[in-house]
Amino acid sequence: MKRLVLAFLLFNVYTLLGQLNTPVNGVAETPANSFVLTNVTILVSPEKTINHGNIIVRDGVIVAVGQQLVLPNDLPIIDGNDRVVLPSFIELFSSLGIPAPANNHDNASPQYLSKKNGPYYWNEAIHPEIDPTALYSIDETAINELHKMGFGAALTHQNDGIFQGTGSLVTLGKNKWKQQLIQPKIAAFYSFEKGISKQEYPSSLMGSIALIRQTLYDADWYKNAQKKSSNYSLDAVNAHQNLPSIFFTNATYEVFRVHALEHEFNRKFTVVGTGHEYELGTPWDSLQQTLIIPINFPAPYDLKDPYIARQVPLADLKHWELAPSNLAYLTQQKVAFSITTNGLKTADEFWKNLHKSFEYGFTPEEALRALTINPSKLIGVDSLLGTIEKGKKACFTLYDVNPFLYQAKVLEVYTNGEREVKISIPDVDIRGKYSLNIDGVKYHLSIAGSQQKPEASVSLIRTINDSITNKSKADTLKTTAFIQLIDNDLTLQFLLKDKKTTQHFALKGVYNARVWIVEGTGTDSIGNWIKWSALRTEKFVGKSDEPVWKTRADQPVPPLYPNMAFGFTAIPKQETLAFENATVWTNESEGIIENATVIVQNGKIKAIQKNTGNYPANTRIIDAKGKHLTSGIIDEHSHIAISKGVNESGQAITAEVRIGDVITADDINVYRQLSGGVTAAQLLHGSANPVGGQSALIKLKWGHMPQDYLIPNAPKFVKFALGENVKQANWGDYNTTRFPQTRMGVEQVYIDGFARALAYHEAQLNYQKLSDREKSKIGKPAIDLELEALYEIVSGNRKITCHSYVQSEINMLMHVADSFGFHVNTFTHILEGYKVADKMKAHGVGASTFADWWAYKFEVKDAIPFNAALMQEMNIVVAINSDDAEMGRRLNQEAAKIVKYGGVSEEEAWKMVTLNPAKLLHLDDRMGSVQVGKDADLVLWTANPLSIEAKVVYTIVDGEVLYDSQLNDEKLAAIELEKARIATLMLDSSVKGDEAKPFKRRKRGQYHCNTLGQEQATGTNEH
Amino acid sequence: MKLLHVIVVLLVTIVAQGQQNEKKILLENATVHIGNGQVIYNGLVGIQNNSIILVQNALAYTYNPNDWDSIIQLNGHHIYPGFVAPNTTLGLTEIDAVRATRDFDEVGTFNPHVRSQIAYNCESAILATVRTNGVLITQAAPRGGIISGTSSVMSTSCWNWEDGTLLADDGIHLNWPSSLKGGEWWSENKVITRNDQYEERKRQITNFFAQAETYQQEDGKAADLKFEAMKACLNGNKRVYFHADELQQLLDIVDFVGAFRLQNAVIIGGYDSYLITEKLKEHHISVMLPRVHSLPEKDDDAVDLVYRLPYLLQQGGVLFCLQNEGDMDAMNVRNLPFLAGTAMAYGLTEEEAVRSITLNACRILGIDHYYGSIEVGKRASLFISTGNALDMRTNNARMILSDGMFLPVTNFQTDLYLKYRKKYGF
Repeated sequence: MKRLVLAFLLFNVYTLLGQLNTPVNGVAETPANSFVLTNVTILVSPEKTINHGNIIVRDGVIVAVGQQLVLPNDLPIIDGNDRVVLPSFIELFSSLGIPAPANNHDNASPQYLSKKNGPYYWNEAIHPEIDPTALYSIDETAINELHKMGFGAALTHQNDGIFQGTGSLVTLGKNKWKQQLIQPKIAAFYSFEKGISKQEYPSSLMGSIALIRQTLYDADWYKNAQKKSSNYSLDAVNAHQNLPSIFFTNATYEVFRVHALEHEFNRKFTVVGTGHEYELGTPWDSLQQTLIIPINFPAPYDLKDPYIARQVPLADLKHWELAPSNLAYLTQQKVAFSITTNGLKTADEFWKNLHKSFEYGFTPEEALRALTINPSKLIGVDSLLGTIEKGKKACFTLYDVNPFLYQAKVLEVYTNGEREVKISIPDVDIRGKYSLNIDGVKYHLSIAGSQQKPEASVSLIRTINDSITNKSKADTLKTTAFIQLIDNDLTLQFLLKDKKTTQHFALKGVYNARVWIVEGTGTDSIGNWIKWSALRTEKFVGKSDEPVWKTRADQPVPPLYPNMAFGFTAIPKQETLAFENATVWTNESEGIIENATVIVQNGKIKAIQKNTGNYPANTRIIDAKGKHLTSGIIDEHSHIAISKGVNESGQAITAEVRIGDVITADDINVYRQLSGGVTAAQLLHGSANPVGGQSALIKLKWGHMPQDYLIPNAPKFVKFALGENVKQANWGDYNTTRFPQTRMGVEQVYIDGFARALAYHEAQLNYQKLSDREKSKIGKPAIDLELEALYEIVSGNRKITCHSYVQSEINMLMHVADSFGFHVNTFTHILEGYKVADKMKAHGVGASTFADWWAYKFEVKDAIPFNAALMQEMNIVVAINSDDAEMGRRLNQEAAKIVKYGGVSEEEAWKMVTLNPAKLLHLDDRMGSVQVGKDADLVLWTANPLSIEAKVVYTIVDGEVLYDSQLNDEKLAAIELEKARIATLMLDSSVKGDEAKPFKRRKRGQYHCNTLGQEQATGTNEH
Repeated sequence: MKLLHVIVVLLVTIVAQGQQNEKKILLENATVHIGNGQVIYNGLVGIQNNSIILVQNALAYTYNPNDWDSIIQLNGHHIYPGFVAPNTTLGLTEIDAVRATRDFDEVGTFNPHVRSQIAYNCESAILATVRTNGVLITQAAPRGGIISGTSSVMSTSCWNWEDGTLLADDGIHLNWPSSLKGGEWWSENKVITRNDQYEERKRQITNFFAQAETYQQEDGKAADLKFEAMKACLNGNKRVYFHADELQQLLDIVDFVGAFRLQNAVIIGGYDSYLITEKLKEHHISVMLPRVHSLPEKDDDAVDLVYRLPYLLQQGGVLFCLQNEGDMDAMNVRNLPFLAGTAMAYGLTEEEAVRSITLNACRILGIDHYYGSIEVGKRASLFISTGNALDMRTNNARMILSDGMFLPVTNFQTDLYLKYRKKYGF
């Protein structure tokens, strides 16, 4: 006991020492933040609950928690009446009390440079120096809503830009601003969205990623450089290196994109997720990602109008069904996560969704952890917040019942020991049945409703005489009554009325809760003062103790991969296959072999044999008699499966951006192209600028995660573009200021870029040659991602695929390349290639063209469908590409056109969509023909693949069957069934009271070469 | 070179290109795709002036060679009625991206009085590239607004729009409002929702038609160009082409057609038409299907749904044909035969596929008395290909006749090809 007292004293001394004296206007006040809360169930932490416990609080700090405590007699006692206390939840992702930023630049033409004055980074979306602490104001409405959800602390920040700045941790009290701030600059925030910045760059997700990388490289250089200048932004980037870093994402696969940044820069980010994590399979062991997860589950759709209902995609229906399983999934995957209310509008939604999660296997213990311990640990305040334990801040919430189990109400909120009473509930529960005696007449009084808002009804049983039968019978006259209990004073008033009777009573009495009797006086209908009393005869039987939710007996139908129409029920695996008796288009010297059997194992072509049999174990045999087996189609020019922008159009040179950073795995066009026999593609940056971004060479791995699409160790490629698109010829009168606006300027952009790249490289080399002493004196040259990429190009290590149309510019680029001593690898589109085929041959460049497109803009006036044939005749490697998601799924037909226009043989025409693109992409050592040892990227066709009647039976990628025409039909039927099944569930949930939302359908448009920003075109296309 | 061979043959056989032929010419040993679903192997087709005067099976018909001025041996090559491309901007545009060359979208919401016929450019370079793949007839269709304007059916070979006109002012093009909105341009986060102005937009159209009806009944009013142009629509002399795709729209159009007792109503697009074939058949509404080579509208739709639409309408007994509206729709007209080819791969028989771009199209346009099939008395607008013209590999023009006139089987693109082959010494 003595030691305990001593501890108290010591603690008080420390807290006093820790306070700063501030002037007071008036006399000093004793803060009301010391008390004892007794008789409560305390959910101390996920592991520990104390029943009938006490909490002693002094100066806003918990000094003792336990069942049997010696209660100090110098503190006020608050009786908790056996209610439930939970530690305050902590919101990590919020802009509470912080005004939205505004951008006042009014631009008459595109803004290419930063307009911000001061020593800041060159891009307006990078502002890590922003500290919103001083902007914080107490927003009572928002705080009240958070209180209802059980939150008592929030990390608030300005959600704008890419490097957003820091956040401040505040407690959710409503008085004394200064007391609420726990710590400013406690975490740094990031996103892929440029926010209010009107600077053109970055205009795409890949641009944002490149900008993040460049900023981090710059900050690293700045740290070690001999500072000749100051930069507040870079100072902040470096200062935040060891802060908890929170990265906002808003699309399913972006967690992988953040992870790639972590890997490159050896930083840790906590990712604000999307609620779609359950669609990602089991990557979490390798990701080791901490997450902040929203629980804003989608509302059911209003499916009353069947014409509208059929518009709702399976993906949305599936997500509606599975979203509540996300938290259980993450727990089962052992991911450490916190829960955010981001995206929720009301507290009701918060609790309802949490309860729904429990039905799917999430547990109250884990919920408490995700709302308290995990967030507090993440931002390093677990010694202050997160549990109800000695030494922590007195931040907790008092509920009438355990909110995880029941529909609970927040009664009181304690913030740093300051008590706010939300709902005042009388100490006594007067509900029940009473025998009411008014002036000698017996009535029945029934009190139900809730404890703080009881509802009463009164009935009178009497005997009446039936005038027809002349018999007596019992009859009940009933009415509702007004009832109110304040402290022990009870008011009861009612009017009983029918044809014969009018009785009005207004009664007042004192309630004796020890014996459940109330006695008093009042007035009757004619104003007489009368005596009355009531005796409780029956205790109130409320709702049962069953929680409001029940763990589902059945598991919901699991997600598809990807979670949409035509997804797989599991991530596909390699198979051992034998195609028997096929007509095999080898693309090799063997030509077309009849009746051959091709065996596939471990993702490779294992054997091509004339006889059947002699297969490895577990071989799936496919009868290919009468069918044609070819290598998969390779689309040299494609823009499918790209997320948030195919063009980074914010600068004339954007060699630093990478399509590989933004692959998405839920583009239905991937599946559609598989159905047309496409197995690989070069995903190109658009053609908005002379030097576009770096390409991604992918396989169409439908059912896999985005990173699995990338072909390992693929050669490096970059997109160049010439002509009308880069000079913005068809972009209207707004876009007339970016250099270049003419073909003349385009040449200069290249010469300048390559010259800068060479100088950059030389500077790096010169630095390497210095002695250590000189090195430390001068400092390492800065890394410039754009110049790195340009140097790769000019030194021949990154190959160019150049969008091109007219002969003058084609000729020009070859001259520029020659003068810098490297080769252009591929001209794509190259519709006037036939005019300079001799020069192209001499330069050694390949061609990837359309079969027959022309007349869509001025520069394709002379485009002729014989182009491919003539270039082929000139011994140029020629491919036919799509640049179009629709044409991409019937490139076999486009190849067939080359037989028509120029009389190329069928075998050679076929190579234009298989072997030749493989050659152009330098992948012909592993794909492009049916040869033992090559990748098992195969297509089985019903007929000669160039025939108009050819249809795909199977498409195999790396030995995985990713399109199966029969399975396709089954999937189609299953889609309808699955949609109907979920629609029924939706209807049921609407009946149960979930508010239905009107129909919405997301539609992915197509990207084309000239699609700008993050918009996708479904309209006209200029390629 | 196959192509050169063809050219040489033609120079020998053809009298004078571009001249109408008074001589009697017999095409023999041909595979004759009549256009009505039938085919004659080893067929004979006789032509004189601008018309077909004989169609026979050589096995059942003997003829006197002296009756013919010229007999052309076709070695089993294929004769098709000239293909018909309805609903295109062919001849109304030259280069999509150059505004100065775009003549198909006039200012205004209700433009029935605006006529495409007079903007049709017979010298459009695109026309030549379309003819050589077999497309000899087109419907020059205006775009934009609610009523875009009035189309005309044109020949793809002509001196001027007057002699190129096969049927003037055949119908108005009405873009039915969409019951959904948000479908044109997006960012990834944008969504399609119900168009809450749909009812209002529909009322707008109903009002316009009702006003036009009143106007028609009243005499002595000052002329209103718009309502004048509507007269022929309401009395059945001019078609109404409804551009629409969604089920809700299609059902409402069926009702609208009934309410105004419109004759020969046509739906252009009709993506969802396969769901209501019974109803369309019952109301005699025909459909010009969406470009066969286009992507499904919804992620959940069958990958090959658009490929199969012709088959589904064929099964449903609806009169339908193919059209090509969409991206680069003028230039892409030359791929019309291949759209039919794909429809063939996905369910139609070869002759049904041919019919979908010949006789069916002519019936829907109202020119089937003269065009659309190889039958005696019809105009000699024929495409003769060395192989199956619906397959990319084998669509090779051997002869082209438009109203009995022989047309070149080459175009400026062939010329450029030959020019540069020569440069390289081939």
